[in-house]
Amino acid sequence: MITVVHLYPREMNIYGDTGNVIALRRRLEWRGIPTRVEAVGVGDDYDLTTADIVVAGGGEDLSQMRVADDLQARAGAVRRAVDDGVVFLTVCGTYQLFGHRFVTADGEAIPGIGVFDAETIGGGTRMIGNIVVDSPVGPMVGFENHSGRTMLGSGQAALGTVVRGFGNNDTTEEEGAVTVNAFGTYLHGSVLPKNPAFADDLIARALRRRGESGELRPLDDSVEAAAAASASSRP
Amino acid sequence: MPLFLAAVLGRATSALTRLFGRGGSALPGLIAEKLDPNLVEKILRDTPVVLVTGTNGKTTTTKMIVSALESRGKKVVTNPTGSNLERGVASALLDASTFKGRLDADVAVFEVDEAAVRSLSPRLKPAVLAVTNLARDQLDRYGELQTTAGHVATAATHAGRLVLNADDPLVASVANKTPVSWFGGVEAIRERMPDDRSLYGDATETQHPDADALVTDSRPDGDGQIATIRIDGTEHRIRLQVPGVYNAYNAAAALLVTGLLGVDAVDAIPALEAMEPAFGRGQVLEHQGRRVKLLLVKNPASLNHAIEILKGMTDHARVLVAINDEHADGRDVSWLWDAHIEDLAAMPHQYFAGGVRAADMALRFKYAGIDAPALPDFADALDLLVDGAPPGATVYVVPTYTAMLRLLEILTPGASRTEVWK
Repeated sequence: MITVVHLYPREMNIYGDTGNVIALRRRLEWRGIPTRVEAVGVGDDYDLTTADIVVAGGGEDLSQMRVADDLQARAGAVRRAVDDGVVFLTVCGTYQLFGHRFVTADGEAIPGIGVFDAETIGGGTRMIGNIVVDSPVGPMVGFENHSGRTMLGSGQAALGTVVRGFGNNDTTEEEGAVTVNAFGTYLHGSVLPKNPAFADDLIARALRRRGESGELRPLDDSVEAAAAASASSRP
Repeated sequence: MPLFLAAVLGRATSALTRLFGRGGSALPGLIAEKLDPNLVEKILRDTPVVLVTGTNGKTTTTKMIVSALESRGKKVVTNPTGSNLERGVASALLDASTFKGRLDADVAVFEVDEAAVRSLSPRLKPAVLAVTNLARDQLDRYGELQTTAGHVATAATHAGRLVLNADDPLVASVANKTPVSWFGGVEAIRERMPDDRSLYGDATETQHPDADALVTDSRPDGDGQIATIRIDGTEHRIRLQVPGVYNAYNAAAALLVTGLLGVDAVDAIPALEAMEPAFGRGQVLEHQGRRVKLLLVKNPASLNHAIEILKGMTDHARVLVAINDEHADGRDVSWLWDAHIEDLAAMPHQYFAGGVRAADMALRFKYAGIDAPALPDFADALDLLVDGAPPGATVYVVPTYTAMLRLLEILTPGASRTEVWK
């Protein structure tokens, strides 16, 4: 049984990131792996180390503030889960809060939980458009829409290198961050349906943590590949 | 510059654009506004104004109000479908005024974009501001929903009266000291018309259960529906030509607005029943002996409205969902994942994915458990959709805005878009 936790589904759901949960559920189901999806919201008591994959998305500024407080309250628990190898996929707003801090355009610092050695500065021109990234699992495509510029610390691994678009910021050509099995990214789209290799990588990591081989039966991903190709060709 | 000069030049531009068939309804207003920035308020000095704003339903609600008022002999000035920014309003006013800038109308009814309403409302001081609903919409263009709600709240402080959706917490939150007329639905109706937050798991709760216009029932009827709306203790059964619960809400809003302008519901209803769908909003076009029904979509909420209509049909239907990602559609198609496509899997319908982003739509269908071919070529997609349907049957096209324009080039070749636009 694989448990997928959808963290903050009511607060952090602004750019179709629900598709990531749908993609994981389907790809597990198509391989006959029993799956359970649980929603964990602000204030909910939940031991994240019992989860296999935790997914969280982007949200509006107001939602992000609410979530930031709740995340502080469970900072230790999240870091323990990350150290324990729980797979995390954090997109946009939650990715920013998984860094050290988010400094808004007004100069207000919202503390993050420091899973990633990263800091985000808000404001300035929004970075909007389809984005292509070169990553260890191959090229990835998504849609980015953020004004926060995320700078990684010198020892922090990125998820990939920007081929087209902005990624973490408009200077370093880095996109996302990776710590153990925790991933941060700016890719919406949703990211997992259009990037099945990445989705399967998350599933394989979760299975290996459970002591299984992580070998996954290949699926016919031609529809996924066509969508990725179409997105890559659009502005 | 004197008012009449700006009006003359604006009208001249208007005549020229029509002459050259560009259908650019905003250009005359743009020019006249440059010449006299206060043109609009000067022309409207003695005319009561109604503004209709919100994410979805602006066009249909406006059309309902205008139809009802005109049927009672009132002269109404309104802006053409979709021309809902400040310059579109200015253009409509120029068209309806004399060369001296005198307006020949009893009342002005404008649909206004959710951002434009912020600056237009303080200028026009509307007698009534109606807000249909507020939901996430093309985030790469409009930005955050809270920001939009803020614009509407600012606009609301300049209105003489508000007509608000009681079942949409964001709309209800713009209420201020201004008197409010509320429209809403009973619980069973409300569940079929989720607000933005209830799309993601929150319960649909009304802010005002004793709404002034309450939708108590809505059931499909031909291409439209029979909506039951309770006003002042009287249940009105209304046979609308536009489908879907959301249009019952639009009718409830329209009846409140016309009521405030002195037209009783019983007098307004015949016009609502006679009203044909606005451009692409439930409109039916003939094509190769079949009936093609258009259900325009722009965001998760409107796609869910279309899904709600398709769920109400128990007979097999062929459905093309055509998704474009041009600027007017929104570049980001992530929102497809927020719509409840999964609900369509249980229906006996056959689905096709079309538009520039046909591949994305096919992928969305796949993850909803639906096998749908990707047909990015518009002509191919229409052919396939229609060919499998018996003559006289109704097929369904669920397009984004520019996908609809492309499809109309095939469905109504040679027709000027401004004609279809009406």
